[in-house]
Amino acid sequence: MRPIHIVAAIALAAVAARGVLAQPAPGAPRPGPGYPKIYDSSLPFEPKDIAGIWTPNGAGYGGGGRCRDCGDRGFSLDFPQFTPAGQAAFDANVPSYGRAKDSDDAKAHPEEHIGRRRAQPPALGNDPYQTCNPMGMPRAILYPDPVEFLVLKDRILQHFEWGYGLRTIWMDGRHLPKPEEIDLPRWWGYAVGRWDGNTLVVTSTGYDDRTWVDHFGYPHSDQMVLEERYTRINYDSLELKMVLTDPEYYAKPWVAQTKRMHLLPANYIQSSGWSGLLEDLCAPVDEVDTFNRLIRDPAGTGKPAAPPRR
Amino acid sequence: MNSRTLSRVSFLAVLIAAAPAAFAHHGTLIAYDRGKQWTSDAVVTSFHYANPHPQIFFDIRNAQGSVEHWSAELLPNPAALLRNGWTKARSTEALKAGTPVKVTIAPARAGGMVGLLMKITDANGTELLKDDGVPPPADLSTSPAATP
Repeated sequence: MRPIHIVAAIALAAVAARGVLAQPAPGAPRPGPGYPKIYDSSLPFEPKDIAGIWTPNGAGYGGGGRCRDCGDRGFSLDFPQFTPAGQAAFDANVPSYGRAKDSDDAKAHPEEHIGRRRAQPPALGNDPYQTCNPMGMPRAILYPDPVEFLVLKDRILQHFEWGYGLRTIWMDGRHLPKPEEIDLPRWWGYAVGRWDGNTLVVTSTGYDDRTWVDHFGYPHSDQMVLEERYTRINYDSLELKMVLTDPEYYAKPWVAQTKRMHLLPANYIQSSGWSGLLEDLCAPVDEVDTFNRLIRDPAGTGKPAAPPRR
Repeated sequence: MNSRTLSRVSFLAVLIAAAPAAFAHHGTLIAYDRGKQWTSDAVVTSFHYANPHPQIFFDIRNAQGSVEHWSAELLPNPAALLRNGWTKARSTEALKAGTPVKVTIAPARAGGMVGLLMKITDANGTELLKDDGVPPPADLSTSPAATP
C-alpha cells in the first residue's frame, strides 16, 4: 500500500467512525486526557523550567477547541462589574463568538453573562483581530493554539503561533511603570516577571486599549494591570491564574477562570519536515482582501463581494 | 478507485474529520443557516488554501438551467488540514478547477451565493460527510511516555 493510500484509509476511517460513534450525553464523563498526551505527567521535572511549546489545544495545534482541562476561550466565567465607562466600552464591542444575539439559544442560558450571548455575524461585528490587528493580552494566551516560551538570561519571550505574535516578559528586575506613567501604549504591553517560589508571576500594563480581553469582546482601558501566575504543576502541565485590574472599566478586579496548557515536543508541529511553530500570522492579503471580501462580508450582508482593492 | 480519486476522497474526508476541531474559528457558524442546507452537483472553479479558512468556489446549475457562481468556506484552517497530512500542494491538486463534486451547503442567513461547506461527494457518488455534528472526543493518548 502506497503512503497516500494509508493516509486515505485513515481519513476514511475517521469519517466512518463519526457515523458509528454516538455523541456522549452532555455532562457525561469523557475518556482520555482530551489533549495529545505525549509525556508521562509523573516524570520528574524542574518547576522553574518552563521553556518549550505549551498548548491549550485539544489536538495540539490547528485552531478549534481548547483541551478538556484547559478552561475555555473566555477570560472568566464570573460576571464582571463594569464602571459606566467600562459598560459603554463593552456595549460598543460587537463580537462574533458565543451564542447568537437574541437567539433562543442565548435566551436559554441566563446563567452566562451577556458577553457570551451576543454574537453577530463577523461581517457585522467589529472584532479588531478580524482585520489582522494584534490580539494582545490576555486574549492571545486564551487562543487555542500553542505558545512557545523562549527563556533567555534576562527575559522570557512568549511566541504565539496564531497571529505569530511575540511578547516580552522582562526578568532583569526592572521597574514596571504605573499605567499613568506610560508614554506610549503597546499592543503587547509592558511586562515584568519574577519567581514567587515555583510560580512565575508576570505583571503587565501599558496595553493599547483597542485590543479585547477575550474573543467575547470584553474591553480593557489603557489603565489595565494584568497579573499572570504560571505554575508548572507536573511534567506536562502548566497552570495559569490571572487577575485583571482596571479601575477605569471594572469596579473591582476580575479573576480569570484557571487555565491550563500542556507540553508538546519541539518537533511535534511539522511542515515539510520543518519543526517549530507554524507561521500562522494574520496576513491582510489573505484575511482582509480575500476571506473577508469574498466570504465573510457577503455571508454577513447578503451583498455580492466587493471588487478587490487597488 | 484509482490513486487520484482516492486522494480526492481522502482529502474531502479529512475536511470533515478536521472540521469539528475548527468550529467557530472566526465566528463563522453565526453567519450560516444550517437548517436550510441544500445539495447540488457542482464543478470546482477554484480552491484557496489560506488562513483563516480555506475557500472553495464552484459553479452549479439552478432549476432554470442557469449557471450560478458560488463560494463557501471550510471550517478547518490550513493548520488543521496540515495536521492531517494535507499540504497546500496536495489539497489544491485534489480540488483543482474542473473537479466535479456534489456539495451540501449551509447558506448565509443574509442570502447571496455564499455558504458554509457541510458535505461534499466525489464523482463516484461516495458520500463523504454523514452529518455536521461534532464527533465524540478522541482519546489522543500515545502509549509510550516520551522524554524531551
